[in-house]
Amino acid sequence: MKTYTWPQGARTVALLTVNFDAESFDLKEASAERLFGRYSYGRYGARAGYARLFDLLARHDIPATFFVPGADARRHPALIRDLAGQGHEIAARGVALENFATLGDKEADVLQASRDILADVSGKAPLGFRAPGGELSPRTLGHLAQLGFIYDASFQDADHPYVHGLEGGRTVVELPSSFALDDAPVYSARHTHARLQAIWRDEIQAMHAEGTLIPLTLHLRGDFGSTRAARIAVLDTLLTELKGLGGVRFMTCAQLAEHTLALNLAPQPDPYQAHAQTLANTLYRGELAVKPL
Amino acid sequence: MTKQTTLPQDMRCVVLIGIDFDGPSHEVGRGIAPLGKHSWGNYSARCGVPRHMEMLARHGVDATFFVPGYDAERHPQTIEAIDRNGFEVAAHGYLHEAWELDAEEEATLLRKTDRILTEVTGKPVLGWRSPSGRKSDRTMAVLKRLGYIYDSSDKDYDRPYRLRFGDGADDVIIELPNNTYSLDDFPFYKFSYTPPSEVLAQWKSEFDAIYGVDRFFVMSLHPRAGWGSGTPARTRILSDLITYMKSHDGVHFMQSRAFAKWCQAHADNLEEVRFA
Repeated sequence: MKTYTWPQGARTVALLTVNFDAESFDLKEASAERLFGRYSYGRYGARAGYARLFDLLARHDIPATFFVPGADARRHPALIRDLAGQGHEIAARGVALENFATLGDKEADVLQASRDILADVSGKAPLGFRAPGGELSPRTLGHLAQLGFIYDASFQDADHPYVHGLEGGRTVVELPSSFALDDAPVYSARHTHARLQAIWRDEIQAMHAEGTLIPLTLHLRGDFGSTRAARIAVLDTLLTELKGLGGVRFMTCAQLAEHTLALNLAPQPDPYQAHAQTLANTLYRGELAVKPL
Repeated sequence: MTKQTTLPQDMRCVVLIGIDFDGPSHEVGRGIAPLGKHSWGNYSARCGVPRHMEMLARHGVDATFFVPGYDAERHPQTIEAIDRNGFEVAAHGYLHEAWELDAEEEATLLRKTDRILTEVTGKPVLGWRSPSGRKSDRTMAVLKRLGYIYDSSDKDYDRPYRLRFGDGADDVIIELPNNTYSLDDFPFYKFSYTPPSEVLAQWKSEFDAIYGVDRFFVMSLHPRAGWGSGTPARTRILSDLITYMKSHDGVHFMQSRAFAKWCQAHADNLEEVRFA
């Protein structure tokens, strides 16, 4: 298998990804007329957090990829258009943060709908997808390939992008992310922004030293997201440090997926097939798992 | 009165680096497909194990990989590489069973994994670490019949000891107790979100307290992503910890089986206990 190579002149590539997850996240817990009080952290992202993050990205001249639930794109079309106009990528995240592991026959329709909404709002069909909650079914990757998506950004199992080889010779690029560089687990556990900064500093330095992908995952929200003023300041510091490490290329996910396709890597086997038979005979014992977020 | 296990003066500290492979078996065994955020186990074979082996080789220190049988079936080349590179391959359940098993089911799975690992490496397996730390008063007899000389699952002591499980002369196994609360990576990366540099400080101070006193430092690590140590920053602090330990006199980095053999040969140094 060919080894992964970064674009000419880059020591490593950093992806700044943002899970938009505004009201659609709160609507999983509460009805529309109750989006007040504790269920208004999503609205914070759109009202207050968005502008702060937008300015930070502009100041650092960093292109980001926003994974936007279709319903949130409909709610905030002007924000989505501004992002696209600024050179940020808009990618898919279902319509209403559906759990793709349990959608069943509705999966393809939901993906198609999310794609159509983003194409309508941003003027361009999305090329990538990140599963809400990180949950996919065995069929999700196949649906993505069929609907013209070129990449998925939901797995956490590699240091470099790779290619999923699917049934019928179809392929989807995987842009793996990292639990260690995701703001939600840290802030959900009510840790301080100083702690996030210390974790990310350690992780980023070591990834840069080894030349692996540096995948940053942010959220727009006011609770476990990164757009509060003090948290934006932490990001500002981390991005400044990251750029100072040297040879770091910031790309959108679509750009990195295109680069990965051009490498003609041998596809990796379908990540489900090797386990299909065992899973068919295994009881769900999720209640005993060391649960991811 | 039984005497306490005593290591000789020149063995200031025995260090057993145990790496629990924990590939996709961890999720698949619970009925969860290793997709999306459940894919951390795939990182072990793809990135974490090669990175750990490279780091250990750079230091020239021994280690033991505890491997679930299911993961060995799916990643035989990685397991062969572990053995070929001079590390120990030991057993760690079949599907990383993290639930109570009845004695018969447990025995079946212990035998199954033993057969898989033996076929892959062409060598007998000599030790076991329980996935999730569950074991019963009947587990040791099965291991002993499989020819195992040690278990590394109990949490009840700071030093190695001889665990007696029956009245026969051979009904005893070397117990190398581990500690999955403070000498394990997942509590820090899963529960307390401790920055790697703080985890390093924590483990250095654990070593300081053990060195020259109980003299027995057993690590339980994981090469997966997510809550494991396979990723660059977390492997880096393991490397820094090894550098720190190597700067002390009389530190012996050993495979668990090599140390278990030492314990067998120096039975007089070891406390013998029986609980059931």
